[in-house]
Amino acid sequence: MNSSAYHFDLVWHLVKRNFYLRYIGSSIGILWYLLLPLSQLLVLVFLFGKVVPLKIDAYPAFVFSTLLPWVWFSTCLNTASSLFISNKDLIRRPNFAPFILIIVDTIANLLAFILFLPILIFILALYSRYITLYFLIFPLLILIQGILTVGLSMIIATMNVFYRDIQQIVTVAIMLLFYLTPIFYRPEAISKKYNLVYTSNPIAVLIQSYREILFYGSPPQWSSLMFAGIISVIVCVAGFFLYNRHLPDIFDAL
Amino acid sequence: MADNVSKCFHIQRNRPRTIREAVIQRLTGRYNASSVLWALRDVSFSVKQGTVLGLIGHNGAGKSTLLRLLCGLGRPTSGRIHHTGNIGSLLELGGGFHPDMTGRQNLKTGGILSGLTKRQIKAIEDEIINFAELEEFIDQPIRTYSSGMYLRLAFATAIHFDPDFLVIDEVLGVGDSRFQVKCLDRLKAFRSAGKSLIFASHDLEQVRSLCSEVIVLEEGRVVMQGEPGSAISCYHDLMRQRSEKRAKQIYKKAPSNITAEQGSRLGTQEAIIYVVRLYNASGETTDSVFSGDGITIELGYRLINPLSDMALSLGIYNEKNVKCFETVINSTNAVFGILDEQGSFICHLPELPLLSGRYYINVGIYPPNWDFVYDYHWQMHVLYVLDKQELTSNISGVVSVYPAWSVQARTKELNK
Repeated sequence: MNSSAYHFDLVWHLVKRNFYLRYIGSSIGILWYLLLPLSQLLVLVFLFGKVVPLKIDAYPAFVFSTLLPWVWFSTCLNTASSLFISNKDLIRRPNFAPFILIIVDTIANLLAFILFLPILIFILALYSRYITLYFLIFPLLILIQGILTVGLSMIIATMNVFYRDIQQIVTVAIMLLFYLTPIFYRPEAISKKYNLVYTSNPIAVLIQSYREILFYGSPPQWSSLMFAGIISVIVCVAGFFLYNRHLPDIFDAL
Repeated sequence: MADNVSKCFHIQRNRPRTIREAVIQRLTGRYNASSVLWALRDVSFSVKQGTVLGLIGHNGAGKSTLLRLLCGLGRPTSGRIHHTGNIGSLLELGGGFHPDMTGRQNLKTGGILSGLTKRQIKAIEDEIINFAELEEFIDQPIRTYSSGMYLRLAFATAIHFDPDFLVIDEVLGVGDSRFQVKCLDRLKAFRSAGKSLIFASHDLEQVRSLCSEVIVLEEGRVVMQGEPGSAISCYHDLMRQRSEKRAKQIYKKAPSNITAEQGSRLGTQEAIIYVVRLYNASGETTDSVFSGDGITIELGYRLINPLSDMALSLGIYNEKNVKCFETVINSTNAVFGILDEQGSFICHLPELPLLSGRYYINVGIYPPNWDFVYDYHWQMHVLYVLDKQELTSNISGVVSVYPAWSVQARTKELNK
């Protein structure tokens, strides 16, 4: 029963179930998922294209190439807080590792991301940004971001079981992080002394790398990318430790 | 197998549920005392392969906690749990079921969560639907199901997999009697296949028919472990003591129209014992008897509210409140048939081997499940037991046994 075939079945089944539950009962179904980033895109384009012009070429493509990965990241973290507490009945089953819920959630959101990739490519093409060879680095970015997301989600989900305001803290933090991450602006435009903010923050590095390979069609900054990768692994391991240590208490607290 | 397992839940009042509270508590140095609830204390037992172990006890005795620990959910505060082989469980029904998904989809979810692969589920899918008798509704969302249908589906899904060791928590009461019979048959099949089974239940008939061994839990401790019959009577005993204790706390003293110099009487008075008479061997009322003689006790009862069945207890206690003897009838219907509105229970004790002294006859009538008490007389009826013969030694205790002492001369061994 603990074979890898079983685990694969389990995760895949839960991912399908997750998807199904999201869009059941909504009239436009899965397209709803796209509505959020598209509307954000429209607002940003209007704001920083016309109201406070940043004077960046092909602004919509510029923004959208980083917006989709960001949506993957933020959705995962926002739902992570309630993952354990709302799936109490699953966790109370023996032989079920709550950790699986995090994996399932991350993968489900990733699938939604990939599903809308064609739209991104379409928008890029509108502005004559075509796919280059560097697109092959895309899976690597997904991998690093996935590790980081899983690590953070584990920390958030575990802690939210005991301290229920983690959820609010995360919401606020994500909101602030949105502005601190160069999604809708160029970090080069900022003076050098703030550089540290953008090179030490792994999600900022990842976002920029996405933009490099998708929008600019050039290789990412390998050194900062590696650094981000190491930080992601550390966060993931730390999250795992935290989760393991508190697992028995989670059972009691739920 | 559980080895000396104890489980303590710390119930903290005002536990900080948010970080803000935690910080404030630390800053103001205000730690609210946490009270400790020991759900289990020093529980040890082992289950051999192929046996069915029943777990009975009052609500809150710790049965569910123990079963969950056995399945690995949560960690014992002290002690160890170890097992060999695969453990499966039926602890809560319908975990992972979502109301908007169809019965079939939920069946797949339940099956996967129980440890089956997709292939295995496909193979037994029809068997499960059949068992639950839900062929027509299986493709409808389960929010349209009645609670009975929901439970049947959950149960059928959960029971169709194949562990070496199955742990069940009080979920066998679902469905109509036909369905229950099916479930029991399936569990019996488990048992014949040599698997081990632990289950907690309030249904004593199920326990009696399925189990080879029963553990009685009371307030988190194992009170007895043994064969079903005696364990069940032990359980009844404990339940009765609990109701008596509760009755003392809740009910005020009923006005007594039985002359009694002391003692107390409690109960809801839906049925009352209005007189207690003692007769000796010649048929005269008396309040004293020689030790070893027989005695007849008459309990005159009257039903205030119409009742169909009662349980009855009669006990003889000494002055130190030690129980010398007790007789209990769990259901007067079963023994006497339907009761009249008024009548007498007559109990004849052919011999009363009690030492001389003062004893109390405590009688009580209860509803058949011993939930509370209709009328209980405590220390209201006195019985004096007198010595029959001269004693050469001092005797104390409860039972009258007349020892005969003598001396035997020892043959002298000559020193060699």
